[in-house]
Amino acid sequence: MNSAYIASIVNSTLRSTTPILLAALGSAVCSRVGVFNIALEAQMLIACFFSIAVNYTTGSVLLSVAAGIFSGALVGLIVAVLQVKYRAADMVIGTSLNLLVQGGTTFLLYLFFGLRGVLNDPKLVSLNKINLPVIRDIPFLGRALENLTILDYLCYVIAVLLFVYLFKTVSGFRTLSVGINKSAAESLGTKATRIQMRMVVLSGALCGLGGTALSMGQVTMFTENMTSGRGFIAMAAASLGMSHPLLTVLSSLFFGLCQGIGVALQNVIKSQLTMTLPYIATIVALVIFSRRGGGARAKKRTGGL
Amino acid sequence: MLLEMKHITKVYGSLYANDDVHLTLEKGEVLAVVGENGAGKSTLMKILYGLEQPTSGEIYLNGALQRFRSPHDAIAKKIGMVQQHFMLLNPCTVAENIVYGREPKKHGLFFDREAAVRITEELCGRYGLHIDPRRRVGDCPVGLQQRVEILKVLYQDADIIIFDEPSAVLTPQEVNELLRTMRKLAEMGKSIIIITHKLHEVMAVADRVMVMRLGKYIKEMPKEETSVEEMSYLMVGRRIVERKVAPQKTTGTVLDVQDLVLAGSDEKNILDHFHLHVDGGEIVGIAGVSGNGQSELIQCLTGLLSPTSGKILLNGKDVSGQSVGQIREAGCACIPEDRYLWGCAAQATLTETAIMAHQYRPEISSKGLLSGRNTRAFTQSLLEGYDVRNSGQGQKAGELSGGNIQKLIVAREIEQKSPLLIAAEPTRGVDIGAMEFIHNKLLEKRERGDAVLLISSELTEIMSLSDRIYVIYEGRTAGEFRKEEASEESLGILMMGGKLHEAI
Amino acid sequence: MKPSKAKELAGQIWRALRQPLAAAVFGLLVGAVVILACGQNPVTVYIEMFNKSFFTPYYLFSTLTRATPIIICAMATGMAWRAGYINIGVEGQMVTGTFAATVAALYIPGPPIFVGLVSWIAGMAAGALYALLPAVLNWKFQVSMVITTLMLNYVANNIASYFVTYPLKDTSGDGLALQTAEIAEGLRLTRLSSTSTFNAGFLIAAAVVLLMIFITKKTVFGYESKMGGFNSSFARYGGTKQVKVMMITMALSGAIASLAGTAEVFGLKFRYADGMLSSTNYAWTGLMAALIADLDPAGMFFVSIFLSGLQIGGSAIQRSLGIPLEIATIIQCCITLFVSVKLVFRFTRGKARREEAKGGAQA
Repeated sequence: MNSAYIASIVNSTLRSTTPILLAALGSAVCSRVGVFNIALEAQMLIACFFSIAVNYTTGSVLLSVAAGIFSGALVGLIVAVLQVKYRAADMVIGTSLNLLVQGGTTFLLYLFFGLRGVLNDPKLVSLNKINLPVIRDIPFLGRALENLTILDYLCYVIAVLLFVYLFKTVSGFRTLSVGINKSAAESLGTKATRIQMRMVVLSGALCGLGGTALSMGQVTMFTENMTSGRGFIAMAAASLGMSHPLLTVLSSLFFGLCQGIGVALQNVIKSQLTMTLPYIATIVALVIFSRRGGGARAKKRTGGL
Repeated sequence: MLLEMKHITKVYGSLYANDDVHLTLEKGEVLAVVGENGAGKSTLMKILYGLEQPTSGEIYLNGALQRFRSPHDAIAKKIGMVQQHFMLLNPCTVAENIVYGREPKKHGLFFDREAAVRITEELCGRYGLHIDPRRRVGDCPVGLQQRVEILKVLYQDADIIIFDEPSAVLTPQEVNELLRTMRKLAEMGKSIIIITHKLHEVMAVADRVMVMRLGKYIKEMPKEETSVEEMSYLMVGRRIVERKVAPQKTTGTVLDVQDLVLAGSDEKNILDHFHLHVDGGEIVGIAGVSGNGQSELIQCLTGLLSPTSGKILLNGKDVSGQSVGQIREAGCACIPEDRYLWGCAAQATLTETAIMAHQYRPEISSKGLLSGRNTRAFTQSLLEGYDVRNSGQGQKAGELSGGNIQKLIVAREIEQKSPLLIAAEPTRGVDIGAMEFIHNKLLEKRERGDAVLLISSELTEIMSLSDRIYVIYEGRTAGEFRKEEASEESLGILMMGGKLHEAI
Repeated sequence: MKPSKAKELAGQIWRALRQPLAAAVFGLLVGAVVILACGQNPVTVYIEMFNKSFFTPYYLFSTLTRATPIIICAMATGMAWRAGYINIGVEGQMVTGTFAATVAALYIPGPPIFVGLVSWIAGMAAGALYALLPAVLNWKFQVSMVITTLMLNYVANNIASYFVTYPLKDTSGDGLALQTAEIAEGLRLTRLSSTSTFNAGFLIAAAVVLLMIFITKKTVFGYESKMGGFNSSFARYGGTKQVKVMMITMALSGAIASLAGTAEVFGLKFRYADGMLSSTNYAWTGLMAALIADLDPAGMFFVSIFLSGLQIGGSAIQRSLGIPLEIATIIQCCITLFVSVKLVFRFTRGKARREEAKGGAQA
């Protein structure tokens, strides 16, 4: 295995990490305020669609990214209203929205563009590929960081900003207090429900950015159900990272690596088998890092059912 | 007149939690609001603190009409509340908890945790209440946690401080300390409202007493002009007859716990070589401040937890480490300490609630199939025999009142007809009627010659029912008394970890 | 039956049905808005949709044929969810079980009766084992079943896809389609109608519904699993063997899930084709049906048929009016959302009552 090969794995790891990390940060802020949000998949997929749809119509990268963030946040708002405000069962809301967005994007794709399943057009504009001036000439690093987009860098900045916000600011302290003990926070006048809703919308925006990274990063296209479980992988990443922004970076990189290796192995092993790798790795990672006595959430029956 | 609450009425559905209640408070005064469970004291205080909105009625501060839509509004008007269930962020430090809501800032955005520590130290100094600001609240004992709550309220600069059942979780000695603190705060010019049903505390601390019953204002009077007898008469609406339990002969040992150890997550054992025995025909009480291993003891005895070492002999057979089903089979029933966590499921029907742990009895099921007719008949016998008010067996357990669901759970466990009954907090949060009913059922069980192990944080309950009393402190058997030897003081000293001869 | 009793029963049925009915009306209203956005008249579209799903015999048979796997998937979901185990991996269990059954049917020699029996049992065993995997991981390592069951869907689909693409691909014919060979004639389920593909698979689905009703209403296991679903601490305190209940529940759920796909192969398609069980969204539609019916077996049966009708009608209008059939998905998801909001109203009202009782008791 030569260094160019490793560099290319690093490169594809970094690219695969971006959507997962952004969505995992979204999952982390939700669980930090005690909301179990499983509509991550919907929040990502709708952004994949709208970023490409706006891209196709306007040709503006900036507007596409904004559309992605906004549409993700909109689904987040639905989750916030139904699940936080009206306390509907999280599983019901999550699974319904995931399916609704899956069907809805396919529907809209046909309605707007008369296409079934895929929107891939040469006229689509992709995010600028960045090749840093000096670094691109360094042998290993140049290949490893080749053709990354601004989002591939931005996601780490967002993780650090989230860390600073949650653990160093007063407003972040209040936010965390809601997840620690909601009634204590409320008894001192903190508007806990509003904070929870705000965080769910933020998670929608983060997933939206993640979805945009997926549809306008490595490739620039929309395909039906193109998130294929990444929202759930992101949940696993957040839970392995104990919902801490910086630890979540590490766990997301691990899942990115699994996808990167999967891509690299495609020439050796049949693609159907390498495609199972990220999913199996998720389960294995959850088993290895399981904390006995934790994870009660898994069995807890949900809300109104 | 500092505070006036006029014509306060609060209606939930068809229930009048408060019905035209009045309350007044002067500066520097300690007012006790007394009444039994369900009298509407807490609701009244929640309204004053902005946690609930009154259906009708007004609140005046210094003569000005107020509207409190949330605690935020009440805090802004210098009203603070020390809640019965502590409202603390356990993973955070003492200082973080105290400054919560008015945090010191750096650069207008960042949380200045060093300043929070300084503020806390200064505050502790001013009021003479000492505590380490950097300690994690979750690691503090209950008495200190309550101190954090009081300091929180003082940091908010409250002039009116509400204490909601503040002594429920404290030892008698800690209670004395708390009462002294309250007097001191009153002398410093704070006005204090204490909600309680413990009348000797009222006599020790209050200037004035207000009595409530069934949501209504009954009477108020200066402390000097009343007595414990008068207050209890007004609270209940009738004279309470002191219970006399006749001594009876015991039959052999039913439960014998030897050298029971349950290791904790650190070096300290949760249960530390605990021992006790219960004979047939006696009620044995366990007194202790909650959190000293009682919950874990119950869970070890019933099989929910597996002890690290030691023996639990039930009718001579060691059942330690066996499953819940096996231990129930061996003859142990249990009224759980938290009826909503362990005792029932809110969405389950009364039938489903009633047959739990009876489901393998031959009249209820055979070969894995339930008999519909027999389960209904059995449930009906429980509902009628234990006076559970219900609207039919299809009603959901979560729709019953606390007292009624507790009676159903008591019924279910007593009807196991097991030689041993563990009764954990059997009357927590139920009204006096249900309490007397449940106490009578426990005594009937004793008269039948069965063994009853009673665990309660209400010392009066333990002292009035038990034939023998153990004290548990930090998972150890700290003392054992016969009923006639026990006094509140001696139990209290052991509950705090003291030694009897030192204190005397 | 006395009139008063009949009235009481009618009242019960009405109370059970009014939430889903109201939600269905709202869902169809949302669908109407979407149809308007497509520039069509909702009334004519709905008439067309229901004519070509319920009100003509041919389409009714199509609807019931489509409903067969959906009903069974709803039962598999309901079995796990009512016990508190959030199994969203019914699709993976169905794929695994079905694939195992198909392979057994193709490669085990012997008389049809024997081979048939072995195939169905092999399918159920494979589905059950595949469902037990997340259960064991949850029991031993407290790994969230929500994530594992979902991840295993992708694993099962990809592996089955590998097998039909390479080692087990049918090489007869043009050899382009990714599918196995056809199973023998003697193994196929009887057709119940001479004009359509409606087959005995539907009877299997109905039998599963009856089994489910029996288990939930009449057995100690059904009682214990239900209580575990409501409040697992309560069930544990009452001495139920929770690990055993969990394993049986998940095994049953997986075994039932396998029947959905096996019935589809043995009754309709006669071979396993790549993506035949995932692209049709059977498992997810079954999940929706289970949620709409609040996990009540009889309710799930009827809701599944209704949702199948929406899909059959949806593909009819796609052919004739050019409206994408995903309209059916949109309507059914909206129904679930509305049902859950209704549940919320009920739940918050119940909660308010409880809190009031509690508040009253504490005061």
